[in-house]
Amino acid sequence: MVYTVGQVLLLRGQMLSGFLNLATSTLVGVFMPPFRWKEILKQLHFVAWQSAPVVVFSVSFAAAVTIMESSYHMRLVIQNDALVPGFAALLILRELGAVVTALLITSRVGAGLTAEIGSMQITEQVDALKMLSIDPIHYLVVPRFIACVVGGFLLTIIANIVCLYCAMLVSQWSLGYSQGSFLVAMRSFVSMQDLYFASMKGACFGAAVPLIGSFYGFRCQAGAEGVGQATTNSVVTTSVTIIVLDFLLGYLFSYFY
Amino acid sequence: MSKPILNIVDEIGRALLFFKQIIKTTVKTPCSWKSVCEQVVKITYQSLPTTALAGFFVGAIMTVQFSMQVKEFGALGFLGGLATSGTIREVGPLLIAFMLSGKVGAYTSAELGTMRVTEQIDAIRCLGANPLQEIILPRFFGIIISSFLLLSAGLLTSISGGVTLGFYFADIHPQEYIRHIPTIVTAYSVGSGLFKCLVFSIVLALICTYKGFHASGGSKGVGQAVVATAVATMVGIVVADWFTSLLSDVALTIWLGV
Repeated sequence: MVYTVGQVLLLRGQMLSGFLNLATSTLVGVFMPPFRWKEILKQLHFVAWQSAPVVVFSVSFAAAVTIMESSYHMRLVIQNDALVPGFAALLILRELGAVVTALLITSRVGAGLTAEIGSMQITEQVDALKMLSIDPIHYLVVPRFIACVVGGFLLTIIANIVCLYCAMLVSQWSLGYSQGSFLVAMRSFVSMQDLYFASMKGACFGAAVPLIGSFYGFRCQAGAEGVGQATTNSVVTTSVTIIVLDFLLGYLFSYFY
Repeated sequence: MSKPILNIVDEIGRALLFFKQIIKTTVKTPCSWKSVCEQVVKITYQSLPTTALAGFFVGAIMTVQFSMQVKEFGALGFLGGLATSGTIREVGPLLIAFMLSGKVGAYTSAELGTMRVTEQIDAIRCLGANPLQEIILPRFFGIIISSFLLLSAGLLTSISGGVTLGFYFADIHPQEYIRHIPTIVTAYSVGSGLFKCLVFSIVLALICTYKGFHASGGSKGVGQAVVATAVATMVGIVVADWFTSLLSDVALTIWLGV
């Protein structure tokens, strides 16, 4: 199908307004009773606890890579690797921990969420909820939204700590730093503030995942192909959004350091 | 406790056996170039805007972060070289491969999974054709070749993102930024980035064709296969990243004595 530029813009505008509509109803719904504590806890268990092993595993490998790469660059520019702990810790706390965690949550939780809501949409379960006068956004999206924000926040903190610990072990093993000297060198570069900013980033990324995921789920076209298409679109859009958000938040936080 | 671990090991083993089958089919009955090229065009065309956008922002992020760090040492002149080197060697391939795993990996496994559960793959076998040769091989090599093209495009836009942000955020003239790139980014760095591209794309292509080809259980099974692909490719890419870094580190130490 060939669209004119105007039609494409109109389509994009409709999508954007639909998304903003969903986002506002979700944000309002967070403060509206009834509060489904059990559902929230169940989702939190799925989002945070069951993602934790994957996140910890991936992040510890990422730590090893960060140490190796920053020691390469250090040797190249200032001929020794005395500043490696500080640089690696900065990179981990400001970028790597939060982004890797968020991308993993996207592929694990976001894709599953879109597939779930999408198949509910095409089997008319969402319409059934409406018939029972239950707001599908309040019933389906709000608990997942709260769980993802809290889960993103907690997982980012865990990921950062594990990543730093692994970086310490790797630099002890391959660069010959003692743990004490690593921590001392690290402390001159980063402060507690960095962890606060990182966890705020994690919460923001966590908020993006369920909103975009459920948006694509509700728009799902009928058929098995439709669910696959919706899932792919949702994962891609969420990943791009996370990278763009990361840039915007990094730019914003750079005024507070 | 030991069961999940055994399951994971089983799964890795099956994927490797599938890889062996793919190689065997490639050697014995290769697919036509035309079908590979069709896949390359399709995948590259679909994913180019996403990858280029992601690349731009990755370059921008790297420049902002590096400029804050090197400013303290008064080494702002090195910014162009350092940010570009960091992007090309490490962060660029990693993040762009993540994007591709969402876009190409999920799409391919959904497509193959749908083919499997609607029995189209069995139909191909009934017609006397080899589904591995007809369906899997073009996609496998299509993904590898187009990953190369997409990653190169992503790295180029990441440099332009770095130049833009260097100008607006750190007040470095684009000429100054670009002048420092060749002093720090060596041919070895570019080679290591490209090697990473190759390894990531093989991991990505293997996992998504494997998961899609072995999907079962209706449309729900396809959904599960897609989610499993997304997670497995990301973890696989991170592990491959560590492994290639280690390899190139070892290679550097042995051959160049640095």
